Amino acid sequence: MKLSSFRYLVGQGFDNVWKNRVMAFASFCVLLVSLLLVGISVLFYVNINAIIGGIEDQNEVIVYLLDGTEKARISEIGDQLRMMDNVANVTYYPREEAFIDLKAKMSDQAEVFESLGDDNPLPDAYRIRVTDISKMDETLKATEAIADVEYVRSPDSFVELLTETRRVVTIVASAIIIALLIVSMVIISNTTRASVYSRRREISIMQSVGATKGFIRFPFFIEGMINGFMAGVFATLLTWFAYDSLVGLLSRFDVLSTIGLGNVIPFNKIYVIVTIAYVVTGALIGAIGSVASTSVHLKYRAANM
Amino acid sequence: MVELKNVSVIYESTGVEALSDVSLKVEDGEFAFVIGRSGAGKSTLIKLLLKELDANSGEVYVNGYDLTKLKKRKVPEFRRTIGVVFQDYRLIDTMTVYENIAFVLRVIDAPRKQIRKRVPYVMSLVGLQDKADCYPSELSGGEQQRCALARALVNDPALLIADEPTGNVDPELAYELVELLQGINACGTTILMVTHAHEMVRHFGGRIINISEGEVVFDEVIGGAEIEAQ
Repeated sequence: MKLSSFRYLVGQGFDNVWKNRVMAFASFCVLLVSLLLVGISVLFYVNINAIIGGIEDQNEVIVYLLDGTEKARISEIGDQLRMMDNVANVTYYPREEAFIDLKAKMSDQAEVFESLGDDNPLPDAYRIRVTDISKMDETLKATEAIADVEYVRSPDSFVELLTETRRVVTIVASAIIIALLIVSMVIISNTTRASVYSRRREISIMQSVGATKGFIRFPFFIEGMINGFMAGVFATLLTWFAYDSLVGLLSRFDVLSTIGLGNVIPFNKIYVIVTIAYVVTGALIGAIGSVASTSVHLKYRAANM
Repeated sequence: MVELKNVSVIYESTGVEALSDVSLKVEDGEFAFVIGRSGAGKSTLIKLLLKELDANSGEVYVNGYDLTKLKKRKVPEFRRTIGVVFQDYRLIDTMTVYENIAFVLRVIDAPRKQIRKRVPYVMSLVGLQDKADCYPSELSGGEQQRCALARALVNDPALLIADEPTGNVDPELAYELVELLQGINACGTTILMVTHAHEMVRHFGGRIINISEGEVVFDEVIGGAEIEAQ
């Protein structure tokens, strides 16, 4: 194809959007709604995951060492812990500091500490944070197996709850997103088919003067891409507005901090990826949908000639 | 050149035999009228010649292409050798007169220079030079038919098929249109004109192919009123 023909067909694609504006608007609306449905579901899932991740990060395991463990050995245990696969962070927690913390926590029971005098019953310890909470069991077992470790304290039930919550959220969100994707594809396919069908006369004229399938399809490809691109841009703007409004509303009523959901991702941190995802997906679905519908129509016509 | 050898076409959905063992030959540069009643098989013949339909038996040759063996991917290339004028004009509503005509040249990847030269020329040939920027809906029936004729001619086809081109225009315009087609034929283009207008055919004379119930029942050259008057 010559450059002049390529330019002509691209121009035809742009012209056709305006000339067939009613069907173009219908395709645009369907694409916009589909993108919003899927996009918002994905953002919801990503945020739920971020919130669970935030809670997981606050989750701490304390590794208590045997009484009288020597300084050199304590240091060695620290190195062993740091070398473990699922350990993200290791902090030494000396018995003196632990005693001070305990006193502060139990300040209303000062008499208990008075009877102890200067005797500190607490052992030296390490505070560790794990990378993947679902592998907590294996990490605890490996930690307990280290020599001179007396015992390990972890909030087991909370870990299980978080792991289970993440699993359920992933399954439910994936099912919803897949269902929405299928529904969207069906609606988009029907709309683009209707759009092509409304121009069947034009297509038949093109064929009768010897236009190839590629020549007929190309302007439809450009039209679909423009519609999808515009739907992607509008979906980004609407999502941005709705997202910021919702986060602003929740923050105003201290909802996020009250229920401990301070890990909601601000839109300005994800707007680039959201925009690219919306625009690229919209343009691709629009273009492929249009070309597929045109091809089906041409095939059907060829079979029924 | 158009040649049909023992061609039969049966519509599978209805079982109707639209063409039955038809044989005919139209040489290069000829002008032939194809007449017949509704349902006689004229439209089937046109569909066959445009490769919109395949024969159940027999052989069909058009412009050097053997249509019985023509591969699907070669069909657009074949159609570019034919100009077609339809009764309902079949103009693209969203394109201007100029664009409708130029479209045929764009399909064959013609250079822009050629398009800019050839389109105004054929528009002037059919008297539409002042209507270049009009849309089909802004034209009269006669103007739309002339636009369709210009589109059929722009590619300088070897064969021009006119399917009831005078069906939707008044008698005076119909006669003008046939005279225009005769002028084009005089330049060497083979013309096959399908029509109902028997009176007009008698007026012009020439080769008449009469199809009835799917068979060629008459195929002769007759003298027209103009010829007889001379």
